[in-house]
Amino acid sequence: MRRLPWVIIVMAFLGGPLALRSESAANGSIRGRVDVRAERTANARPDTSGLGMAASREGTDRRRSVVYLESAPQSAFETREQPRARMDQRNEQFVPHLLAITAGTWVDFPNDDRTYHSVFSLSKFNSFDLGRYAAGRTKSIRFQNPGIVRVFCDIHPNMSAFILVFAHRYFAVTDEDGRYRLDNVPPGTYTVTVWNETVRGDLPARIVTIGDNGGEVDADFKVQ
Amino acid sequence: MRTCRRSFALLLLLAATPAAAFAQVSLGGGVTVGGEVTATFGARDEAAPAGTVNPEKPAYFNYTDYAHNALRMFRVSFSGMWQPASQFAFLVELRSENLDRVTPYAMYARVRPWKKLPLDFQAGRIPSVFGAYVRRYGTSDNPLIGVPLVYQYLTSLRPDAIPASADGLLFYRGLGWQVGPPIYPVGDKTQKPGVPLMTAYQWDTGVQGHFGGRLVQGAVAITSGTLANPRVDDDNDGRQWSGRVSFTPVVGLVLAASASQGEFLTRQITDTYNALLNQDNHYTQRGLGLDAEYSRGYWIVRGELIDSRWNLPKINNPPIDRPLHATGGFVEGTYRLSPRYYVAGRADRLTFTRILGKSQPASAPGTWTPWDAPVNRVELGGGVKLTRRLTGRGVLQYNWREGPVQFIATKKFYSSAQLAFWF
Repeated sequence: MRRLPWVIIVMAFLGGPLALRSESAANGSIRGRVDVRAERTANARPDTSGLGMAASREGTDRRRSVVYLESAPQSAFETREQPRARMDQRNEQFVPHLLAITAGTWVDFPNDDRTYHSVFSLSKFNSFDLGRYAAGRTKSIRFQNPGIVRVFCDIHPNMSAFILVFAHRYFAVTDEDGRYRLDNVPPGTYTVTVWNETVRGDLPARIVTIGDNGGEVDADFKVQ
Repeated sequence: MRTCRRSFALLLLLAATPAAAFAQVSLGGGVTVGGEVTATFGARDEAAPAGTVNPEKPAYFNYTDYAHNALRMFRVSFSGMWQPASQFAFLVELRSENLDRVTPYAMYARVRPWKKLPLDFQAGRIPSVFGAYVRRYGTSDNPLIGVPLVYQYLTSLRPDAIPASADGLLFYRGLGWQVGPPIYPVGDKTQKPGVPLMTAYQWDTGVQGHFGGRLVQGAVAITSGTLANPRVDDDNDGRQWSGRVSFTPVVGLVLAASASQGEFLTRQITDTYNALLNQDNHYTQRGLGLDAEYSRGYWIVRGELIDSRWNLPKINNPPIDRPLHATGGFVEGTYRLSPRYYVAGRADRLTFTRILGKSQPASAPGTWTPWDAPVNRVELGGGVKLTRRLTGRGVLQYNWREGPVQFIATKKFYSSAQLAFWF
């Protein structure tokens, strides 16, 4: 499993970002757009042993990204709720292809197809294997550790997805247009980072500051 | 040895290549590519080189019709699909074993005339519709290394050379890796391997139609070869028809039945004997098969049963006066222990009908004897997903033949390890 920047985890124990100025000041928002130059991938691996045409599927949309703060205030780590999220298996694809959650979240994997699926991950800190299960059934797994989890189906090699598990709640998945918004960010100076599956090497990042009066800060990114 | 080193180095190179290099299999324009590389390391199966002191008898339990050892092989396959429209695709798969030649394993066009009707037609060098394992061979869906006996083990029959009598056929019991003249005096004048009941190593050439219903699926094909001897060219002007019907009552359970019939012997042999006997006989291979698969949770259980019947001309005494049957089957189970590890096992058996010789078999002449030596195999193993695309497998395999046989081992134990990488 690829780890998210160690800063996220370390900050949980240090009690928040050193740049944080005042707990009582107004919170602000960070918003913007991530421009990703990536085409859809073709999901169909040649199936020469097939006796018929595979169901037509749209390729995976790789333009979605996750924008997150590399460091966050202590309060961001003190969530007591146990939220649930959902990743469907539909038309031999994981939907959504990219999911971002906080550590401790239960993720449901309902099978909405007519065939078996067998969801698994080899990720170092969140490995799991749900086995084969049929249409209409749901299996769930709790993601305890922060990191990047690659999810696959053991039966359909074209199926893959990403789950990004964060130790705090300051993250957002971009919408169809690449737009994102991080709300309720306390005043301070933060490193805003973009994760996209097409990026190899250093992730795009920017330093932004939320003033004591809160307000909105724009931060746009380009991912080549 | 040099080939072995080269192949291992190539596999390591591929495995070390960043996954990103394989993330995009689309080349644009409706073209996608894929492939698999497997390196298998195991003990020798064949006769010891000349001059070996106290050589063991050869065993040839894992020899294939390409004269390769299935437990000691380097295999590369590249596949590609060009789909210029949603209802039309052209597919090709090239394979090479031990880097010695490249074979077009598949090369065909696929058409779906009606978009909403799951009825497809394929023409060219096409996957067999008979049985199930044949379409699984060479994919990452195989938990073990060995190939089931019915799809790999070489019997003593050849389409292009035949024995003149029951004694000739009985002489070659267990020696299917190399049969021919002078014991087989008719047809091709060189020693060559015999054929398995159905080969997993080649596909046939022709046309097929397939209906993929939700509960019932069916496929029929007309091709130029037979189950045992698929062909690109046609050596006897005969056609094989084959079909399979499968039933999926619930997700995870597949029950299927297959049948086929086609001209087996070459035109040269057929014409010779029909002219000699003033007859119009057909010397065919007929296949009947049953297969089933059930999977649930971490289990997959598969089984197949195939019966093959060949007709040969009656030439000399003692005659081969009845059709020759070979019946084989296997049961295979896989259990996933964790996301990375699994264990698997397979039990195989291959039997043959009895014929009456006069001077053969040498140890019991004049007795009704199976026309080839029945074979049994048990293979146990497991695997580990080193990465999603790189799997390591290891197996232990025990084989034994039922006598009497001559010149060849009756039992042998093998171990084999494999690295398989797909993209």
